[in-house]
Amino acid sequence: MQKEALRLRVNGSLREALVPHHRSLLDFLRDDLELTGTKRGCDDGSCGACTVLLDGCSRLSCITLAHGVPGRSVTTIEGAGQPGRLSDLQLAFISEGGLQCGFCTPGMVLAAGALLQRIPHPSEEQVREGLSNNSCRCTGYGRIVQAVRRAAGAPEETP
Amino acid sequence: MIGLPSFRLHRPTSIEEAVGLLAEHRDDAKLLAGGTDLLVNLRHGLATPSHIVSLAEVPGLDRIDCSPEHGLTIGALSTLESLATHPGVEESFPVVVRAARTISGPTLRAMGTVGGNLCLDTRCHWYNQSFFWRQACGFCLKKDGTACHVAPGSSLCWAAYSGDLAPAFLVLGAEIKLLSVRGERRVPLDRFFLDDGLRKFDMASDELLTQVCVSATRAHLRGVYSKLRIRGALDYPLAGVAAAARIAGGGTFHEAALALTAVGPRPFLVEGATEILEGLRANDEDAIERVAHLARRLSNPMNTTWAMQPAYRRLRVGLFARDALREMGERGP
Repeated sequence: MQKEALRLRVNGSLREALVPHHRSLLDFLRDDLELTGTKRGCDDGSCGACTVLLDGCSRLSCITLAHGVPGRSVTTIEGAGQPGRLSDLQLAFISEGGLQCGFCTPGMVLAAGALLQRIPHPSEEQVREGLSNNSCRCTGYGRIVQAVRRAAGAPEETP
Repeated sequence: MIGLPSFRLHRPTSIEEAVGLLAEHRDDAKLLAGGTDLLVNLRHGLATPSHIVSLAEVPGLDRIDCSPEHGLTIGALSTLESLATHPGVEESFPVVVRAARTISGPTLRAMGTVGGNLCLDTRCHWYNQSFFWRQACGFCLKKDGTACHVAPGSSLCWAAYSGDLAPAFLVLGAEIKLLSVRGERRVPLDRFFLDDGLRKFDMASDELLTQVCVSATRAHLRGVYSKLRIRGALDYPLAGVAAAARIAGGGTFHEAALALTAVGPRPFLVEGATEILEGLRANDEDAIERVAHLARRLSNPMNTTWAMQPAYRRLRVGLFARDALREMGERGP
């Protein structure tokens, strides 16, 4: 098994490990760095639970090789806010009830963050399209969309 | 959890080094671009190379140059998202952007590449499964087995080509460039795809697709791409129709072309459509119906998916073709 030293900037810190060539970025984050906030769902790129940010763009870590993204900066859910202080987006997910079992939430929050970087004030349709690579098996999409729009400054919706 | 099999990863830093590695390892190597197709197939044992040649550090393959004077050239490593959001391509070659926007969702579009989408592996519900699943069914003709479960007795594999970009490029008469240590060759896209889900492409194992080119003479054609799928995002096409045409001042069809995807082992142009429509009024319902019928007749979807019946997919090909021609006649690009 071919192993090679891997250096990646993860959540702002330079991390190093001896990693086999066939290690996925997801396995590297979860098993080597013990950053288990990134979830393993389908393992084939269809659920979005493993979404991380690569230089600010959303990326599915289960179908990305750890050695395949040299020199890039990775952000996981552990790096989404400041230590001890959640990001506005995370707070919006909480205040709007944008989670049920919570398994899809790390991926949803990161994909939503990437969306808001591209489109700071998205319409409901743009949020739905922007999160279309992320599945919520509790089907709590309505409140997730609401949370993202609230974080983007949209007024509170009355039921 | 299904782990990735062991392999040696090569990270060439030039295109010459990349084709050199392909020439050295031939069938025992696979190219890695966005990874959205290959890494899934590796997990399922559908590809078992000892060497993976990553293109992540090869510069210069991700440029999109678009102008009405010089036409369109797209580097094979351009991401699907960069194509889907390119204002110049949308203006001059709208059918390409319309097709790109239907692919999966934004995260996968930012990973997947134009070259990867064109060279997508063919898909079938007997094939795109885990090793355990396939083994339990005695494998299939496409991988590890000898019999086709879709067409028992067939010596050809009927797995469906499922790329969305190919039909859009086909209606624009695109060419592709293939590079190897033996040199570069240009291939008209309609001759690149083979009618066999197993062999798929006219491309040797040491060749690298570097560029897609569309002539400036095909700029500003109106274009439509319609895709049949279960969900509004994420899914591969179960049938896809691309159409392009120039609508002359008097409201007549010129250079009209239709191409189909996901209804057979290769995407293909609807032969005869251009001749039927040339010079006819864009509201000629008889001609539109004749072309729609032709498209439906030429499509040959098989039972390669549980999601929809072949008969329904075929029916929708005809409806998509009819609606695309009507839409191009009625309004601008």
